[in-house]
Amino acid sequence: MKYFYTHQCGFGLILLLIFFSTTTAKAQNTYKLSGQVTDTTGQAIPGVHIQRINTTNGATTDFDGNYNIEVTGNDRLSFTYLGYQAQTIAVNNRKLINVQLSPSTEALDEVVINAGYYRVKDRERTGSIEKVTSEDIELQPVTNPIEALQGRMAGVEVVQSTGVPGAAPTIRIRGQSSLRTNFDDNGNLPLYIIDGMPINSSPIDSQIQLFEGAGVDPLNTLDLTNIESIEVLKDADATAIYGSRGANGVVLITTKSGQKNQGIKVSTKLYTGMSRVDNFLNLLNTQQYLKIRKQAFENDGVEPNAYNAFDLVLWDENRYTDWQKELFGKTAELRSASFNISNANETTSYIIGASYQKQGTVFPGDFSYEKKTFNLNLNHQSKDKKFKLNLSANYGLDDNDLFNSSTFVSTALSLAPNAPRLYNDDGSLNWEDSTWSNPLATLQNEGKLSTNNLISNLGLTYRLTPSLSLKSSFGYTHLTSEENIQTPIESYDPDMWDRVTNRSQYSDIRRNSWIVEPQIHYRKTWGQHHFNTIVGATFQENKNTSLTISGRGYIDRNLIGNLEAADQVSIIKDRDLTYKYSAIFARLAYDWKEKYYLNLTGRRDGSSRFGPDKRFANFGAIGAAWIFTEENFFDKHLNWLSFGKIRGSYGTTGNDQIGDYRYLDAYEATPGPDGLYPTQLTNNDFSWETNKKLEAALELSFLNNRIHTEIAWYRNRSSNQLVGYPLPAITGFSKVEANLPATVENKGWELGLSAKVFQKQSFQWNTSLNMTIPSSKLVAFPDIEETAYANTYRVGEALSLDILYEFEGVDPDTGYYTVKDVNEDGSYDYDDRLITKNLGRKFFGGVYNKLNYKNFSLSFLFEFVKQNGRKTSSLPPGRLGNNLKSVTEYGSSSPEDLQAPSQSINAFLAFNRYAYNSDFSITDASFIRLKTLSLGYEISNDFTKNIGLSQFKLFVHAQNLLTITDYEGLDPQSPGSKALPSLQSLTGGLQLTF
Amino acid sequence: MNTFKYTFLLFILAISSSCEDFVEVDLPDHKVTRETVFNNDKIARSAMTGIYNQLFNTSFANGGNHSVTFLAGISSDNFKLTTNNEDMREFNQNNITALNNYNLELWAGAYNVIYMTNSLLEGLENSESISDENRKSLEGEAKFVRAFTYFYLTNLYNEVPLILGTDYRINATASQNKQADIIEKIIDDLLDALDLLDENYLENNRARPNKAAANALLAKVYLYVEDWEKAENYSDKLISQASLYELLGHEEVFLANSREAIWQISPIGWGSTLTHTREGSIFIYDPTMNTPVILSKDFMEIWETSPDLRYDKWIGEYTQEGVSSYYSYKYKIAFDFSGGEIEEYSMVMRLAEQYLIRAEARAQQNKLQGAIADLDMIKQRAGLPLLSVTQPSISQQALLKEILLERRKELFAEWGHRWFDLQRFDQASILNDKPNTVWQPEHRWFPIPENEILKNPKLNQNDAY
Repeated sequence: MKYFYTHQCGFGLILLLIFFSTTTAKAQNTYKLSGQVTDTTGQAIPGVHIQRINTTNGATTDFDGNYNIEVTGNDRLSFTYLGYQAQTIAVNNRKLINVQLSPSTEALDEVVINAGYYRVKDRERTGSIEKVTSEDIELQPVTNPIEALQGRMAGVEVVQSTGVPGAAPTIRIRGQSSLRTNFDDNGNLPLYIIDGMPINSSPIDSQIQLFEGAGVDPLNTLDLTNIESIEVLKDADATAIYGSRGANGVVLITTKSGQKNQGIKVSTKLYTGMSRVDNFLNLLNTQQYLKIRKQAFENDGVEPNAYNAFDLVLWDENRYTDWQKELFGKTAELRSASFNISNANETTSYIIGASYQKQGTVFPGDFSYEKKTFNLNLNHQSKDKKFKLNLSANYGLDDNDLFNSSTFVSTALSLAPNAPRLYNDDGSLNWEDSTWSNPLATLQNEGKLSTNNLISNLGLTYRLTPSLSLKSSFGYTHLTSEENIQTPIESYDPDMWDRVTNRSQYSDIRRNSWIVEPQIHYRKTWGQHHFNTIVGATFQENKNTSLTISGRGYIDRNLIGNLEAADQVSIIKDRDLTYKYSAIFARLAYDWKEKYYLNLTGRRDGSSRFGPDKRFANFGAIGAAWIFTEENFFDKHLNWLSFGKIRGSYGTTGNDQIGDYRYLDAYEATPGPDGLYPTQLTNNDFSWETNKKLEAALELSFLNNRIHTEIAWYRNRSSNQLVGYPLPAITGFSKVEANLPATVENKGWELGLSAKVFQKQSFQWNTSLNMTIPSSKLVAFPDIEETAYANTYRVGEALSLDILYEFEGVDPDTGYYTVKDVNEDGSYDYDDRLITKNLGRKFFGGVYNKLNYKNFSLSFLFEFVKQNGRKTSSLPPGRLGNNLKSVTEYGSSSPEDLQAPSQSINAFLAFNRYAYNSDFSITDASFIRLKTLSLGYEISNDFTKNIGLSQFKLFVHAQNLLTITDYEGLDPQSPGSKALPSLQSLTGGLQLTF
Repeated sequence: MNTFKYTFLLFILAISSSCEDFVEVDLPDHKVTRETVFNNDKIARSAMTGIYNQLFNTSFANGGNHSVTFLAGISSDNFKLTTNNEDMREFNQNNITALNNYNLELWAGAYNVIYMTNSLLEGLENSESISDENRKSLEGEAKFVRAFTYFYLTNLYNEVPLILGTDYRINATASQNKQADIIEKIIDDLLDALDLLDENYLENNRARPNKAAANALLAKVYLYVEDWEKAENYSDKLISQASLYELLGHEEVFLANSREAIWQISPIGWGSTLTHTREGSIFIYDPTMNTPVILSKDFMEIWETSPDLRYDKWIGEYTQEGVSSYYSYKYKIAFDFSGGEIEEYSMVMRLAEQYLIRAEARAQQNKLQGAIADLDMIKQRAGLPLLSVTQPSISQQALLKEILLERRKELFAEWGHRWFDLQRFDQASILNDKPNTVWQPEHRWFPIPENEILKNPKLNQNDAY
């Protein structure tokens, strides 16, 4: 959830007053005074205005809080900065004055926002940037920082497609802008930047099917407790400086660093707890199930026998197993420990830490997710403050110890409740004379994935003059991911053993990248005109390699995975890809009287993914803001309005997220040996997808900043889509890579509201709300009928679309569901699918509350989503396999709603092929979820002080404690999915700081 | 300020000069530029090997469920479907809609092969560094494969665009050519191939066509265009090469590089440890594997009076609950993941067919004795009484009917022979006897895929669609 920070507004006017009330100072013996302005934590404050009282002369502090000013020995100086208490200091002939400003009590929340290449005060920003800070996310027992953003930010949609720990969540910032959504060709990934280092945000491909194809997120190797803040850049003003990579927004993650002059500090956080699935489907018990099965045979006029009804003839009719509880009903343990030491003096600060996290799974057997991380952050500043160094390194080891099965969870939903027992008396798996497939067999298909990830960045800054600095950052990342999947013959029915063999698949994925970004920063003030400039360049190279080897014919199960022991080894995939990227970028920020703001950003990008003549393109944006409460009128007449700002931005960003080398006219090796073949038609003329973003927003604060609101309207139009130009197959292929004039529009409203409900010494209550009303539309797509997207998207409709038959209820003759044959041609195909349903979110958001009472703190976050979704699919009632309890109502209350039990093929087609693909299957899937609930108690007494504890906090935290929904499915978050739902967890722990 | 300007200028200069070059990337290891491919004999040869490998993978030729073998096969009266697959059902009921995906796959696969051959031929043309010897055989092979592919395209779809280059900007709007022109180009290509190809199989690999393959295909082309004399001549030339070809025992015919094979496609194209043919996996009936077809009742009836060796060796039986299903068992291996030696190749052309071609060509020219002798070669191997003994004075009409039946028995489940034969012998009306069929004479041509017409409005749909 976003924080809506309040602002101190009187200061602008005070500044004005100071300016206009000054008189001309007489020239006396002047000399140069210098010094630094810091806040109470020792952090430098740039932009502090220093005024010689009763003169028009003034100065402003630079990035490092340093200032120089010509003074006379008996001058008095005023130091003013928004959000801080102004100070007046007499010079008294001193040459050096260091000043520490305290935050003004009514503007504690004055916040500096990281916009990537620069930082900006929240009050002054012209772009749309959301921020969450460590204290709101660090307690969540999730593996991935992105997951922690669920429900916290307007315009940011995060969906966890499976509750299997480690699986990558999907994040969409202001909707889906690219039509390409395949795993290996996804144009919708935001740019991730960790401490200045961009990392490849595409999930790491994993063949472990439990991940449901989502892959593993490269951010998993970060320690959540080591994250200082996460900023998400959304509009053109904020993202255009990232040029071709900013189309889908930018996620900036800043890790913790030592704070100046704090001295040595040791802190640790420990928690332990458990997690489980809290929502199961309401399925038939054996008695209800058998009744429907028998009814089906009766309806079909078929006699159950040993071939068509194992469950009725061969299996025990008195057995009952709750397969959901059996297969994913376990309680998983989780524990986490993190530890760090930091130290800082005048010139140097560092933080060094490590963490460990382990989560079990809810599946039977001993599976787990384990993470170890190490982090280092070092800051150094030379004594003369001219030279600055920042080094950050994060290293993480991630071990997913799972099994390989795509149907483990869905099997639990479809197994007959009287299906046989899992084990024989001797402990071996029971196959019940091959009448079923024992679900536990796949647990033997071990799937292990280990990822090592180093993300490091070094920043060097040298200040040439007070207003001019040179800066350069050097980043390096190295990720390796190794996966081993084993398939022993024991995972098959013993009847099959002579037809199968022990096999394994080994994958090795490496991602290496480096980046160098030299920059010049320049800051200048002429009277009331303030300029802030950055010019920089980027050079980046990524190398991605992947190697997949399969081995088979291992003699013994124990040898599986050791390729040396395999009878046959074959290379499935061997790829070595290089991506190079370079750019020059610039930002010019200007403001007049700290009232009117203008921000120009631009970038010229070159990407190796395009043909030689198409590699470069320009992107840019303009942003402007007007703090209208700075005008006299408001102060006089509308003083209940403490802050008001109108801002807007327009600009273009691009997208080069397509595969490498697609422009090359080249042959590739055929799967068969010694052969080469052309794999595509070649066009070296394609280029960037472009995303034009427009935004307007209004920010208001009331009642002395107690209440802050922000309302934003945005419209992003993404065109030049790289979806492949459709060609007739007579050309040899069905498409050629090309920019299509297809346009996707995402627009919407974002609303933020925060309020300090109570602000007493012993009791504080802050509440905030964010809400997004998005809408997406495919504005244009020429000749869509001829492309592979013909049945996925419709021009004029939303992107998250289902194209469906029209449901016509139950046929009174057959008792089966029917759908409308629109063109009356006797068959059902896409010509009959005329109903379209938007499965995108209608609105979503979160409500966050944070209460402090004395030593207690309580916070909780509700996530809410209004959407339609697919019903959970099942087999038609009467077929072999369990079903929702609602089917028992057949024949009683409203028979027209339920298909007659039958196991005929026509019943199956009517139910699964037609009705499930009609509007019948669409239902409301809205939900409200208590995403997080934290209760903390801070112990602070003489004892803790005596042993040197500066903080001692106990906490309990609950995740997904409660979900309110009418949706009948495992997880309304991803309706229709039969993946493991997001887990509910309860953890407790303590936090100590010495 | 000056410092700033100066630094700034220097900076911009330094950057802009290095930016442009920086984003150059080297060719990745898994790609070879077209230029390089045709720069060198060995790599150019790989491009041809690539085509053979891909013939096993492309839907049109692979023997799988989008192939000519399967789709023309189920369009005829030899098979019964065991699946509800809508696309397959349309073929089986001779009611293919222009939107049928399998039809599009078949068509697209064929044109993908055409593209590969055109790409190779263009590459050769533009290259000066390929040796004459290599150039000859590569050109011959590519033209052979192209002619082969067009032969099936035009016999399935009638008029199709004759694409002979690789420029998609031109090809995307190509119109259909008259069938006569297509046939002429096929014959041209084959005559060139006949000229250019080697006499012998290189390393006895029958997956790489030799002169005789061009010869055999010419015989077939002339048979289809009813140039009986030429059909007889070319098949005659083929049959006379006793050093290369002979009729084998039924169990040996479909083995890799068998001496009956004129051209085969090798499962080496799988590129994995799979070694079986797709025909093996699609025809050998196994209800647990969802095999899509069994042999039709109508087809099984032809064996009732005289079950011969082919009935014994090439037809399998599967009994469940007392009901027997019969399936094509020419290929014996349904699935092999062992990675061992490849035992069976997918047969494209074989000697027995050439005997049947010559028999038919001779019969049509009223050279009945010669025709009977040819037909008897096949009957003899099948263990059937010889026509020269049972009906030495059979009439021309009766003999042709006999040839048609023999072709059905000999060539079932191979490359849609039955489908084409029914059209050629003007016997397609018997398709009306199939259950649920909606056969009409215009259905002899498959529809041009609707998607193709949408993308290229210059294409005309066949009648009846």
